[in-house]
Amino acid sequence: MSFVYEEIIHGYPKEKRYTLAILQDIQKRNGFIPREAMEYLSQYLGLPVSNIYSIATFYKALSLKPKGKHIIKVCSGTACHIRGSGTIKEELLELLGIKPGETSEDGLFSVEVVNCLGACALAPVVVIDDKYYGNMTKDKVKSVIDQYKEERVHG
Amino acid sequence: MDRNKDRRILVCCGTGCLANNSYNVYLKFKERLSEDAEIEVKPIMKSTGCNGLCEKGPVVKILPDEISYFKVTVDDVGEIVEKTIKNFETVDRLLYYDTNSGKRIKSHKEASFYKGQLKIALRNIGEINPLSIEDYMERGGYKALKKALDMKPEDIIREVELSGLRGRGGAGFPTGVKWRTCSEYKDQPKYVVCNGDEGDPGAFMDRSIMEGDPNTVIEGMIICGYAIGAHRGFLYIRDEYELALKNVRAAIDNAREKGFLGKNILNSGFDFDLEIVRGGGAFVCGESSALMASIEGNVGEPRAKYIRSVERGLWDKPTVLNNVETWANIPPIIINGWKWFKSIGTEGNYGTKVFSLVGKVKNTGLVEVPMGTTLRQLVYDIGGGIINNRPFKAVQTGGPSGGCIPKEHLDIPLDFDSLKAIGSMMGSGGVIVMDDTTCMVDVARYYMNFLAEESCGKCTTCREGIRTMLHILTNITEGKGEMEDIELLKEIAETVMEASLCGLGKSAPNPVLTTLEYFKDEYIEHIADKRCASGVCKNLTSYYIDENKCIGCTICSKNCPVGAISGRLKEVHVIDEDRCIKCGTCAIKCPRGAVRIGGMKVEA
Amino acid sequence: MKLKIDGIICEGREGETLMEVAKRHGIHIPSLCYRKGFEGLARCRLCLVEVKEGSRRRIVSSCVYPIKENIEVTVTTDEIQRMRKNIIMLLLLKAPNNSYINKLAEEYKVAAPERYMNPLDDENCILCGLCVKACEKMGTNAISFVNRGIYKKVSTPYDDASKDCIGCGACAEVCPTNAILVEDNEGKRKIWNREFNMVKCSLCGSYFATEEAYKLMQEKLNDNEEPICNECRKKIAADKLKESFANIY
Repeated sequence: MSFVYEEIIHGYPKEKRYTLAILQDIQKRNGFIPREAMEYLSQYLGLPVSNIYSIATFYKALSLKPKGKHIIKVCSGTACHIRGSGTIKEELLELLGIKPGETSEDGLFSVEVVNCLGACALAPVVVIDDKYYGNMTKDKVKSVIDQYKEERVHG
Repeated sequence: MDRNKDRRILVCCGTGCLANNSYNVYLKFKERLSEDAEIEVKPIMKSTGCNGLCEKGPVVKILPDEISYFKVTVDDVGEIVEKTIKNFETVDRLLYYDTNSGKRIKSHKEASFYKGQLKIALRNIGEINPLSIEDYMERGGYKALKKALDMKPEDIIREVELSGLRGRGGAGFPTGVKWRTCSEYKDQPKYVVCNGDEGDPGAFMDRSIMEGDPNTVIEGMIICGYAIGAHRGFLYIRDEYELALKNVRAAIDNAREKGFLGKNILNSGFDFDLEIVRGGGAFVCGESSALMASIEGNVGEPRAKYIRSVERGLWDKPTVLNNVETWANIPPIIINGWKWFKSIGTEGNYGTKVFSLVGKVKNTGLVEVPMGTTLRQLVYDIGGGIINNRPFKAVQTGGPSGGCIPKEHLDIPLDFDSLKAIGSMMGSGGVIVMDDTTCMVDVARYYMNFLAEESCGKCTTCREGIRTMLHILTNITEGKGEMEDIELLKEIAETVMEASLCGLGKSAPNPVLTTLEYFKDEYIEHIADKRCASGVCKNLTSYYIDENKCIGCTICSKNCPVGAISGRLKEVHVIDEDRCIKCGTCAIKCPRGAVRIGGMKVEA
Repeated sequence: MKLKIDGIICEGREGETLMEVAKRHGIHIPSLCYRKGFEGLARCRLCLVEVKEGSRRRIVSSCVYPIKENIEVTVTTDEIQRMRKNIIMLLLLKAPNNSYINKLAEEYKVAAPERYMNPLDDENCILCGLCVKACEKMGTNAISFVNRGIYKKVSTPYDDASKDCIGCGACAEVCPTNAILVEDNEGKRKIWNREFNMVKCSLCGSYFATEEAYKLMQEKLNDNEEPICNECRKKIAADKLKESFANIY
């Protein structure tokens, strides 16, 4: 399935200030910024590719690599950190056998360690896709991951 | 059933409550009430913004009964409808349990968590449906705008100036001065910007305001636009804050429909419009010049501010930038006047401040108190003290730019100047409470690690200084520290503070400097004794059981994930250090506090 | 307007930076990221100086600080000297084997703590940003800053051979630490992971520019003559000058 990024790009006026917004939309729809999308955008806005690449690697919300089906964000904000998010992170990475920023072999999960999600009162917090899981424990990590794996088997 | 007239059920749908399944609670209420023909006047359902006490969510309020229920689940809905809605009885087990008095409390307003609070910026949150501009207007919304449009711009600026309002985003620069300076530049176009890129870990007040009361921010910005002669404004909002984005977007549309935004606002002849720009996930973009660079479509690198943004800001044009909480204070100041605002708070620090009280404290959540409230009041009266009544160790304020405050300073008034005087910072108002299980060296390392990724990397001191401080701190927490490291850390920290280009770099060493000042013992313990008394630095921690305290209950051995604890019932237990993975579970589970923390295991 | 730098009265124009004024008056302010004709980058932090504006003293980066009437500038105070030493120490930790940084460290009598130095580290780039600026000025924009924080670096998109690069070598020329590798060998140039064919000088026969850079030069100068290298151009100009002088006398 090829991704139609032109549609997104043409939805914006040809102004430099929309670079980030366009990249964010592509990221949202496609899960990452494909190289050809970056080159196309460079032509559309009349900006050097290096300029867009610079932006794409500066902002954390943008990724140059494809992501897994589910994106797991482990909050490592201060409140989460002192309530043990480190242990949660280790458990999760061990379970999936990957490092932060990587995608599991089955393509099901990507793990991102993120800074404060603003849900500190529920620390430690893990967000999978858009669902928040508060007051996480090591045990809960496994059961939540299993839920998502199950879904795949049945769905 | 006249008594049901005007009754409302408010289900909190702020991020905290949503995470606790509040949306399904909301749906369940909707479903339950629609199928119940007995209720003649149907209660109105509202999804409200954050109530503050997020940890105890989902929060359900019933008005005008003034009943607040906490930790409501889908299964509780039936009972609430039966008892409270139909029969005007309370469901006691869902009422707030006040840890200070040990009683259950009917209305949240009586709870000690809310008692010491005074809400200005958060005045509408939890009371209105953020998606309804009518709700906002019912509570006095856009009256300030109407009043302002009848005033001379000069008088509006004077009002803000006299109120003494200082920017709530960090350094506390006087808002009125900013507006005045910008109004004096004649260059056009001018811009009004809202910094909604809240990035301090541990702070979420801006998120709450944007989610729960987006109109107040918009109203504040329009008033500023009129006062300084700007016709365009931008709200820079973190892309991760989806609910905030959604609610602000809706509020802009509604305001435009009502004629509060757009051409000829309320027939005043004044034009003003707003646009949202989504942040890309970069902490440094909370710095004003980086934020503006980002809006312009560049990488978020700060610039030197020898020429300030009120003169040359966004696209080199005069720009006023304030943060979300500051904007939320503008409408009440215009309505109630500067004298009212100045009557709250302390000398030079007027009004209130919203804090996010998080960490090892019993009641966590958002708190708005008059400036000058002491740290002790915040942590103990409002926060209810430390979880499990453990000893208080420190409070971290101001995020990565702030510092750690020890217990000697518990009676410090929380305001811009007092915090600065002891080496910390107000920042955006994150207050992270730490107990004896928090390692202060690890906290310093944590912040350097955060900044290593979040610095833009433009200038040498910030980039290389943070990298080196992180290296040193990592060494210390891993047991490879040497005494000379303390001096080296200090030397680098001071240069980073003095020589860095922007506010992020200049304040980056604060977590290191304050922990070095107030918790030097812990550094020395890590370096000289190779011991982390908090049990956080795994290389410097070993667990052993105090034979005088152990009662042989076997709880520890049952809970040990690796079976490293042996011992028979009613006999002293022993931890096998070679098998121990230092997870600390035994120490948490032991009912007698018999599990002790020792230092690094010395190789024989 | 008038200002004083280290006691010397200097004359400057509105909008000029302190660095520009100092340079013009022959006053040295240390810097790694400043180059004449380029706007100040404010990255290296070595050019910090103390400025007295009225009764207020502050430390500013002279390469971006716009001068004001009657300010008094001290290029080096004890405090600033200490900062510079620490900055050089940080650079030494970043690029421990770079000869220029080591020379600087020697000059400032700075030693970096060996425990934090990696003797095998072959990093030479100190991220001053001059190369990026030079590439931008050429209108090429082949390289840019990539990533952020401690992971920041200068590179081409995806670290690949860039189709925008013309191999002009302006980046390498402005680099203070010689961090950009340019390999010229038998009519070929390798730079930024790309190989270029070079053009021979029609006079002396030496390879002097890549085909792409030469083409750009021709377009800019509207020049269709035979390729001539810089050295030979200078020689021709000198000869012409000599000739015209000879004609006068």
